[in-house]
Amino acid sequence: MFTWEYPPRVIGGISPHVFFLSKSLAENGVKVHIVTCDFPGAPAHEVIDGVEVYRIDSYKNPAPDFATWVYLMNLNMQKEAAAIVNKLGGKIDVFHAHDWLVATAGIGLKHVFRKPLLVTMHSTEIGRRDGLHTDTEKMIHETEAWLTYEAWKVICCSDYMVSHVRWAFGLPEDKLVMIPNGVNTSVYENAENEDCEAFRAKYALPDEKIVLYVGRLVYEKGIHVLINAVPKVLDRVNAKFIIVGSGYMKEQLLNIVRSMKLEHKVLFMGFVDDETLLRLQKCADVSVVPSLFEPFGIVALEAMAAKSPVVVSDTGGLSEIVDHDVTGFKAYPNNPDSLAWGITKILTDENYKKYIRENAYRKVLEKYDWQKIAQQTKQIYKAVLGEYSKSFWA
Amino acid sequence: MVGQLADYIGALSTLLVKNKVETYVVTYNDSLTGAAEEASGVKVVRVANPVRNHIGVLTWDLTLNQEVERAAASIYYQADEQVDLIDVYDWHFIPAAVTLKNALNIPFVYSVESLEDHRSANSNTPYNMSIKSIEWLGFYEAEKVSVKSEWMRDEIVRIHNVPKDKVKVISPSADSWIKDVLQLYKTVAGGASSK
Repeated sequence: MFTWEYPPRVIGGISPHVFFLSKSLAENGVKVHIVTCDFPGAPAHEVIDGVEVYRIDSYKNPAPDFATWVYLMNLNMQKEAAAIVNKLGGKIDVFHAHDWLVATAGIGLKHVFRKPLLVTMHSTEIGRRDGLHTDTEKMIHETEAWLTYEAWKVICCSDYMVSHVRWAFGLPEDKLVMIPNGVNTSVYENAENEDCEAFRAKYALPDEKIVLYVGRLVYEKGIHVLINAVPKVLDRVNAKFIIVGSGYMKEQLLNIVRSMKLEHKVLFMGFVDDETLLRLQKCADVSVVPSLFEPFGIVALEAMAAKSPVVVSDTGGLSEIVDHDVTGFKAYPNNPDSLAWGITKILTDENYKKYIRENAYRKVLEKYDWQKIAQQTKQIYKAVLGEYSKSFWA
Repeated sequence: MVGQLADYIGALSTLLVKNKVETYVVTYNDSLTGAAEEASGVKVVRVANPVRNHIGVLTWDLTLNQEVERAAASIYYQADEQVDLIDVYDWHFIPAAVTLKNALNIPFVYSVESLEDHRSANSNTPYNMSIKSIEWLGFYEAEKVSVKSEWMRDEIVRIHNVPKDKVKVISPSADSWIKDVLQLYKTVAGGASSK
């Protein structure tokens, strides 16, 4: 399995996804070897819960820009993965790549070893950028198209992504498979007896409700929509907005907050450690996911597992995770008024809040369990191997 | 044809076939893709880049390498996994040569026509450094390095710290040219050394 991020290297949602997927696959009898980028202090090889993890030197070659770095990193990933597969006597059944960030390594190794390649498309460039505007974006889009072309099966985490990927790359319907993303509920259960009051006091005044945002500070995540909703919420409820994550829009967002003179109401925390994040999710009064483009929406699922009520924008995978007024509140996308309405409703109506958080937690347990997801993935591997065994490559 | 390399490879591959060496040339062409056999008996596989938009030569090159690997792997499997060696010219297809070596134990000779240090003298941008790092990888992973002059050998030793005895000087103007090439191939064929 190829991924550009795996714990402790965490940049987005792929890292936890691959961590839990590989762990659960191992528990279901699949031997998984992960090849990923290095991280300061993390060993070059280790075994985690039965999963072999190899970290490659990803900054070996100087690169003029990010996209070129990705391809150069793939050069090293491919080289080192080739040596690993060779050492294993070529005894690998399938290659599984996650996103374009490991496209060329996956494609190259598929042909060199003549083994089937599967890909999970977590996102697309055309979706992230709302179109293709620059040569870099077009190049990444075409790399994604090439990757999905070379893949035996393309896995997407939501029905929305299946249709989006199918549209974006013109893929045949039978090539696409929907397997939802999962959430690990046990970490939240372990933190059941959290003393929220003392923890909350670090961030908010006693009479302030906590509104939580977790995500990169980038356009597609719609964080600017939430910032624009802040004064509209404050008109009705006294609240503190806690923003976890970082990104290129940070300065711009800070400027908007300053111009509204609301610096005391919006707290930009940057990246936080896992424990703090978990406690924030447990203790927040509402979690907001205002994305404009969201292939899946793992943050909403995590909040639901932490029993925090959610307000999401009605788009992409979020539309499927949340049932309006049942497991959360769905706001109109890119609409601060609608978002403020949902946040205010949850903060002011205790019965509503209790109702949706209980429904949401039940849905998480029923549908987004990693064991079920691993079993579905294993079935796909088996199906692909069955087809492969009849091909001249076998 | 971009420089003089095309003619050189044409002449070399023709002579190799005449000397009963089964020779495949894997190269780039945007439209004439696929396998073909020249009148000389040289088999040529031309590949195009599946990614059309690029931000520079580096991204173009690094994506093209997968197609080179695909073509080379096809040759390998069709030849019952009997490929004795790869001769790779300049930095462009070093990534493919390195992968094929590590995956399939096919050793390679790195034939150097020119170096980034000479092409972009005094230039040390990340772009140049990146190409130099690919050259370095080639020198490190190659079984032998082939150059056409003693000056180039000394430059490679000076710039990339390559051990002098790893670099073989073969002059294409010498009468013994093809004999020297075959001699070099003989020392390299038969499996890659592990690093």
